[in-house]
Amino acid sequence: MEHLLAFFTIFTHPQLLLLVGLGTFAGVYVGAIPGLSVTMAVSILISFTFSWDVYPALALMVGIYMGGVYGGSRTAILLNIPGAPSAIATAMDGYPMAQRGEAGTAIGVTTTMSFFGGFIGILVLALAAPSVSAFALKFQPRDYMLLAVLGILLVGSLSQGSLTKGIFAGALGIAIGAVGRDPLTFAERFTFNMPLMESGISFIAVMIGMFGVSEALLQLHHVGQPAIKQKISRIVPSWSTIRKHLPLSLQTSTIGVIIGALPGTGGDIAALMAYDHAKRVTKKPTRPFGQGAIEGLVAPETANNAAVGGAFIPMMTLGIPGDAVTAIMIGALYIHGLNPGPMLMVEQPNMFWFIVGALVMANFFMLIFGLTGIRLFTKIVAMPRPVLIPLIMLLSIVGAYAVNNSITDVYWMLGFGIFGYLMRHYGYPLGPVILGVILSRLLDDNWRRAIISDRGDLGLFFRGIFTSPLSTVLFLAVVLIFVSQTPIWRWLKARILGQGKRSVEQ
Amino acid sequence: MSQHLETDHHDGTSDATPGGYEDQKRPGETAFAVIMLLASLGLLWNAYGIAGFTSLSSPGAIPMATTFVMVVAAAIVLVHTIRLPKATGETFVKDILPGTVLLFVVFLVCYGVLLEPLGFILTSALFLVAAIKVLWRRSWAVTLGVAAFSLLLIWLVFRIVFTVLMPEGVVPEAEIIQTFRNLFTGGAS
Amino acid sequence: MKSILVSAVAALALSTVAVSAKDYPSKEIQGVIQWGAGGSTDTVMRSVTPHAEKTLGGTVVMQNMTGGVGAIALNFVTGKPADGYTLLMGAENPLLYKVMGLGRKDYSDFTPIDILARGTAILVARPGLPFDDYKGMIAYIKAHPGELRIGATGPGGLPSVVTAMMNNVEGKLNVISVPYDGDGPALTALQGGAIDVMPAVLGAAIESIKAGKMKPLAIFEKQPNHLLPKVPTITSFNEAYAKYLPWGPFFGVFVKKGTPSDVVAKLSAAYKAGAETADFNKLMDGRGYTVMNISGKAAQDFLTKWQSNTTWLLQDAGLTKTSPAKFGIAKPGK
Repeated sequence: MEHLLAFFTIFTHPQLLLLVGLGTFAGVYVGAIPGLSVTMAVSILISFTFSWDVYPALALMVGIYMGGVYGGSRTAILLNIPGAPSAIATAMDGYPMAQRGEAGTAIGVTTTMSFFGGFIGILVLALAAPSVSAFALKFQPRDYMLLAVLGILLVGSLSQGSLTKGIFAGALGIAIGAVGRDPLTFAERFTFNMPLMESGISFIAVMIGMFGVSEALLQLHHVGQPAIKQKISRIVPSWSTIRKHLPLSLQTSTIGVIIGALPGTGGDIAALMAYDHAKRVTKKPTRPFGQGAIEGLVAPETANNAAVGGAFIPMMTLGIPGDAVTAIMIGALYIHGLNPGPMLMVEQPNMFWFIVGALVMANFFMLIFGLTGIRLFTKIVAMPRPVLIPLIMLLSIVGAYAVNNSITDVYWMLGFGIFGYLMRHYGYPLGPVILGVILSRLLDDNWRRAIISDRGDLGLFFRGIFTSPLSTVLFLAVVLIFVSQTPIWRWLKARILGQGKRSVEQ
Repeated sequence: MSQHLETDHHDGTSDATPGGYEDQKRPGETAFAVIMLLASLGLLWNAYGIAGFTSLSSPGAIPMATTFVMVVAAAIVLVHTIRLPKATGETFVKDILPGTVLLFVVFLVCYGVLLEPLGFILTSALFLVAAIKVLWRRSWAVTLGVAAFSLLLIWLVFRIVFTVLMPEGVVPEAEIIQTFRNLFTGGAS
Repeated sequence: MKSILVSAVAALALSTVAVSAKDYPSKEIQGVIQWGAGGSTDTVMRSVTPHAEKTLGGTVVMQNMTGGVGAIALNFVTGKPADGYTLLMGAENPLLYKVMGLGRKDYSDFTPIDILARGTAILVARPGLPFDDYKGMIAYIKAHPGELRIGATGPGGLPSVVTAMMNNVEGKLNVISVPYDGDGPALTALQGGAIDVMPAVLGAAIESIKAGKMKPLAIFEKQPNHLLPKVPTITSFNEAYAKYLPWGPFFGVFVKKGTPSDVVAKLSAAYKAGAETADFNKLMDGRGYTVMNISGKAAQDFLTKWQSNTTWLLQDAGLTKTSPAKFGIAKPGK
């Protein structure tokens, strides 16, 4: 009963309600601008809300978080520039839809699906947080490593053109992620003895360069063409559309919650994995993937918003951050005199229920702000390209600088922008590069931890894999997905089923 | 609309359908593939230098594995590319790096060089005015107005709201902000 | 265009004529935090600075600048003028850069404004291990050589210093050292059973200890800590540790050497007042940190002693790249 009251705190205090709304609104725009990140916004809010009570401060942060994760999809759809890493997959089918003049539909689907995913995430947080966090803790270094390998296999579905070029791009991404001083041993890697290389290459800088600047350079080819007229009459998707994608969105939401709850992985990986999952299970997409398939929007958007609820699970139950944003929120709780940890749920269950309530509210606000104001957003995008292109470039520069207040990151961003432009021209996919950078540390660090833990003995390592059910499942998944992407599988399937040729071809 | 989609196909506007052609090579594609192979080889050599073949768990293990994959993939791509026929009717200057793009690459490089000495505000102002003037060909008044307005907006969001301290360069930004702050607080505190 | 440049340069020249404490701060101050958002240095700095601002009568804009184990931020601040408008908000790591081969600069290029607080090291283990204290752990390591997995956070981190102490006192311990990129992820791994024992800072482990998610083996102090009075001190197991204690990571605010002394005094007074507030003390106490709040000569002496003790400890354990003697770091006096 008391918990129920705590849950409803947010609804009965207009001031808190207002703050959540304000936060969500700001979050949508923070998320939409590449280079302004939720992490940044929340850490600034720590100083800003220093003298406030803890509830209003959290209300604002929760709102920004929820809105920000969603906001990244806006620019991904309208400009082909993901506003945040978790929207990379969204651009792949969202932008082709916008090119057909269907940006309104795309944004509508994205919003409702983000709402749905967010809701599933919150539901799991509210009902099953302790058991999910116990499950997340079970992941050993070798499991994280297998998860990273599983992620790297996504290269196959992210590179529509030449698979070899995709593999090259993915490997390049992993190498980029390794640049700088190794965080485990401080050994210098790929630094060429230059001090400016020591801090490594910020993956946000790579992302902004490859998607922002290279897109802007590409747009210069069409600078004279008028912007595409967008139909924004029918934004809210029909009930039948939603019902049709319900099974898929449930699956991808689950992926989102689990990946979000794992410490060390977040919405970006969740969204890419969900996209891959959708490609695998959808037999008949509305359109081929990569050309504006609705399923290509449903999957990443449900997953990245479900990951929000997921990220709160280890934070609230154990005091362990689920991602970068929850890490800062833990710091905020400390500053406000609370002690986040395993005892927080026991000693102050009200705090838990308040956050659940705030998340629910933020989710509703996201739906409202997502479905309104689209006209204004499309107007911004429809501004003359001669103005839009320089602005995108400038925003990319400021954004790259803002990540770590580093000029070096600006240089990297520009470099990767020009490089990405050439890669696009010659048919090298960019998605795998980002995927590689995101997964590089996860793979490298955990591979080394796993091997070191088993004293460098590969026999012990494999025995470990087959004695843990979790590792076995992950290992089998890796093997299955790998085999299914190689020609052996098609050959086998063709032999066994006799007619499988067409259905395997995606 | 459909015509628009077709023109976009070869330069990879959507990342899911990258540019390039399946069965033809574009101008400069072979050179690009050669550079990629050479760079991969260089990185592999560098990765070997991190820890050599000391152990499976050395900091150089994954870099070596991944650069090895790069070398193999780049080599396959190169061999494949060399075999392809040239794309007809395309030239490097016209389709890959036209004058406008090259000019903007130069702009961006200049921006990078000038950012520290001149500071964010001046460099960005120069960039915006030059870029918009070149692309838009409107009067100076319109160009300057649009550039100033958008720069002000970006500056307000990043510098004031998000307190991102871009390089000041020669503009005494902090002093100006302090002057405004004093104005609003009446010089108190 | 030229005229704009000229006038801008003139304005700059006017604005930086003289730095004196009378009108300091005449513009906002940049505070560069050596570590990422949400980390312990970040939390400490973001909680003390708003209080210090009140005394100072100015604004401190804080930024996180990560990378190179904090060296990126340190080098950034040394590249700025010594006028008190750029503060370095850092932890203990720079004092080890030279011997670890991570950089050529350390706090000897800076003037301490205030050493705010010091942490306490504690040795924790996952539940389910067959020992409950430090003595049991040593016996277990001797009986099962090469089996116990101890978490580490890279050369020069707190775990490496604690491990060096143990190796110097007990003789080389045969354990597996599993590297993590911070004590947070390592303690998470400990709860999941990926590692067995972890030397950590008390503040990071205290809540999980209270909840019974990990068991404390020994605290690296001479006196028990009032937050965990039942946890035995390391000296109660082996007196030989006494010569290394008290030891702990610390947080401090610094300015570049050469900053006018009246500016330093003004900043010191501001941070001193900030660290005296009840809010800050409650926060530090709750996380198991000891508030130090020292400045001037006391802070300088503390830094010198810390560096000498720790670098030579690491040197004796064979963990350094270059001997501290090379940099004129004196061997700790007997």
